[in-house]
Formats: sequence, C-alpha cells, structure tokens
Amino acid sequence: MARRAPSSRRQQLERAALVPVDWLEERSGLAGGIKYFLFRKVPADINWMQTLGSATLTAFIVQAVTGVVLAMYYKPDPDAAYASILRITNDVTLGWLVRGMHKWGASVFIILMFFHMARVFLFGAYKYPRELNWIVGVGLLALGLFEGFTGYLLPWDETAYWASVVGININGTAPILGPFIVQFLQSGIEIGEDTISRFYALHMLVLPGAIGGLIGLHLYLVVRLGVTSPPWSPEAAGRERVEPGPSTNGNGRAGLVRPGARSGAPR
Amino acid sequence: MSTRLEQRRAQHQRYKEDVKEHGKPFFPGAMWHDTVMSLVVVCVIIALASIWYFTSGENPEDAGLLGPRYTEEADAGTTNFIPRPDWYFYFLFYLLRIFKWPDSVILGTVGIPTILLMLMVGLPFFDLRRERRLLRRPVAVVAAILVVLSMGVLTYKGATQEEALGGDATVVADWVDRNNLPASAREGATLFNETGCQQCHVYLGSGSANLGAPDLSDIGSLGGKTEDYFTRYVANPRTFGNNVMPVYGQANGGSLDDQQLGNLAKFLAASKGEG
Repeated sequence: MARRAPSSRRQQLERAALVPVDWLEERSGLAGGIKYFLFRKVPADINWMQTLGSATLTAFIVQAVTGVVLAMYYKPDPDAAYASILRITNDVTLGWLVRGMHKWGASVFIILMFFHMARVFLFGAYKYPRELNWIVGVGLLALGLFEGFTGYLLPWDETAYWASVVGININGTAPILGPFIVQFLQSGIEIGEDTISRFYALHMLVLPGAIGGLIGLHLYLVVRLGVTSPPWSPEAAGRERVEPGPSTNGNGRAGLVRPGARSGAPR
Repeated sequence: MSTRLEQRRAQHQRYKEDVKEHGKPFFPGAMWHDTVMSLVVVCVIIALASIWYFTSGENPEDAGLLGPRYTEEADAGTTNFIPRPDWYFYFLFYLLRIFKWPDSVILGTVGIPTILLMLMVGLPFFDLRRERRLLRRPVAVVAAILVVLSMGVLTYKGATQEEALGGDATVVADWVDRNNLPASAREGATLFNETGCQQCHVYLGSGSANLGAPDLSDIGSLGGKTEDYFTRYVANPRTFGNNVMPVYGQANGGSLDDQQLGNLAKFLAASKGEG
C-alpha cells in the first residue's frame, strides 16, 4: 500500500463511505445528492444544541415505525378499539413496548419540537435567509400537536373519550367556523361510530403524510441555506470583518462587504 | 449607504465563504453528534415505555409511576369522569378557566392560540435586525422568558387543578339545604348531578369550570331567565348562539326528554344563590 500522509484517516473514512454511493451513482445518478448532503460543509463551531433537529426527526421516525406496527393490530371501531388496545398491551409479543414507545414517543416528539424551536430562536437562526424554514417549522409544530390530539382518542378509554370531547368543544368555540369544525371532526352530533375512524384516518394518513412532506422541505432548506454558527462564537461564520479590506489570505472578500455594513458588527 | 437587504445578502455571502473556507464536512463529525443524540432519544423513549409498563398492572386501577396502561372503556354516559387532555394541551385547558363563557371564552379558545400562531409565523418579519447575540437582543430574550414562564405556569396549573366530581348524591341534599330549593326542584337537582352537567359547570362549589362554562349556583336570580327559557336553552343551546354546550333535547338529537328538561329548568330557575 502507498504510504499515507498523517491526515489520511479522514480520507480513508470518506473512501469507505463512498463505495456504496459510487455503486448507486453509476446505476441511478441519485448519489450526487446524497454525497452533497454528507460532505456539504457546516461551520466548524457548531454546537451540541444543534442536534435537536435530527433528534426530533428520530422521534418522528420512531412514531412512524411503531405506528405502522400498531396499525397491524389496532381496530378503529368503537366496539373493538378498546379490546384491541388491551390485546396489544397485554397479549401481543412486545406489544407493550411498541404501544409504550408510541405513547411516550409522542410526548418526546412534542418536547423536542419545542426545544429545537427554542434553540433556533436563541441562535437567531430564523433570520434572513431562513425565514421560510422557520415558517415550515411552525407548520410542523401545529401538525404535530394535531397528531397528538387525533391520536389521543384512539385507545377509546375514558381518558381518551373525554379529552376528545373537551378538545372538540374547544374547536367549537371558533367564531363562524366552530360548528362546522365540530361537525367535521366528530362526523355527527356526538362522538360516535364514525369519529374514531375519522380520527384514525387523519392520524395515520393525512397528518403523517403532511408532516413527512414538510420535513422534506425543511431539510432541503437546511441543506440549501446551511447551518448557523452559535452567535457567541468568535469564529461565527458570516461575522463582520474587524479589518476592512483584504483579509489575511486576501481572496477578494473585501469587494463583497460594503463599507456601510462594517460598523455595529452584528453576527 | 447600502440598504438593509443588501447588508443581509452580503452577510449571507460572507457566511457561505466562511463555511466553504473554514467549515468541516457534515460527515463524519456533525453526523456522529446527530447519531449519538438520536440514540439517546430512542433510549429515553424505550426507558419511558418500560417504566410505564413494568410499574403498572393489567387492571386500569393499577397505575404505575407513569400512570395506568389505560383507563376504563369509553362510555358516553359516564357522569363522574374528569375530562383532561394530554399534558401539552394543559396550557390551553387552563386558559379556559381564566376566560369564562360567554363573554371572553373565545379569547381563550381561539383568540390567544391564534395570536400565538400569528406571532410565531410573523417572527422573522418583525425581527429584521441581523443581530444574533442574545445580550444585544433584549426584547427577544424578555419575550422568550415570558413565553416560557407563562406556558410553564399554565401547564403546571392545568396539571394540578383539583376538580370536584359530579354524580355524588349527598351533594344534592346539601344544595337543597343551602340554596333553599323547593320540593319541585329536587328532581331536577338530582338529574343535574347525574347527567354530567358538572363536567363543565360549577354548582355551589361542586363541579369543574370547563370550557368557560358559568357557575350556575345563582343562575335563576338573573333577570328574564324563566323556566321556559331554561327548557329551550338546554334543549338546544345553538339557538342562543352557544356552540360549546352539547344539545340535550331529544327533538334535537340529544338525550333528555321533555319531562327531564322541564325538571332541569325548574331546578335552574329555583337556583337563586345562598342567603
């Protein structure tokens, strides 16, 4: 083997990661995007707090996987739903784990969405040019809460039923639209036979589809616009140049910074 | 002088150059961090599921450290179950204790959530400064602290709210005594207590104030509220512009017949408050 420079460890790693990528690229051309995703540059000073977004994505994937398994055993019918929940929890092999992970994963998902949002707020990462991605995130938060609301009815126990009564009535107080929203949600005057299948369809088809699509857009924008440096970092990417004019390595940066932008030095 | 937009564009251009020059590839460093964090998340979820399951029993009464596996099967006829949403809606739930039907309930149910949503969506458009350091964003920091504090307090209050139950027969005797109810109102009082009215209404300190429903202890002393008025109101609150309270009249798809409605109305009309 050829002798390697001291920095070759990274090159080795990169080469190993590239073997399957090359295979895919040769046959589909898809690999370019994956490669771009993996080897795009991020600021060197990124922080552990910036893993909250991918942590939220992981929680969503847990919900998706456990949700599919639950759908194999759950029966969205007022006469059978409760019994199927008892069976999943107490009889089906590892059913308790799948249902438990789905139940508690929902709370973890919501908490992580709030933490991720707080991080973006504190870093000022919603500012130009990332405004649209912030709005997509707000949409994801709203859809995620609606997922929680529709999923809460499905166990069809007393907690589920009465919480949904309260939740549906809260929607009913909306001016003008209220009665129509209530009618749509419970598909009738009271919560009944059709309500549970309606919530089920929203919970496992409509909302996850919408969330999945928005997550795709969210990630596309993250990759396109880049990750922000922590605002307190002295090396923050995009910071004002202290010394106007050519910088130490003089690659013409000065021409891009207008004189008026140099004072005040916001990051 | 350059415009604000030009300054922002120049800043993003500098950002791209800095990252290109001094940044590091997402793989492996940053991706490793993401992977570790994701594993922590999965482990926490599994741990919560395990604690929940192994400390609880098959019986709905055998609640563990993280609550029961399930409560009893849903029953629309239950009168004594306290409705309560999942924890992340407690703040909204508690807002409805503050804003009462009919005057301000819309503020709590629709107004404040809509305002919050609009503030969140609009944030990048109100805050046009490029400054990202916290110490130089006092308004943003104060707003964040206030939002976190108020959400925390509302969630805590919603979680610890003590509720009085309906469906307790001894309560009815107490009402008759304290509110000087005539014999004709007793039938209605019992019905009120058994039908689940107290899931939303408070009567002489018993029941829960949900959805901004008013205290009914002295509803009969308010002007113009006759037996006939109460009969029609309870039969179909929609005709009075109330879209929150369920419809009770059988003619409108509810669960109470005319005689029951009449008894309830007698009870409400006789409720003039203590003393």
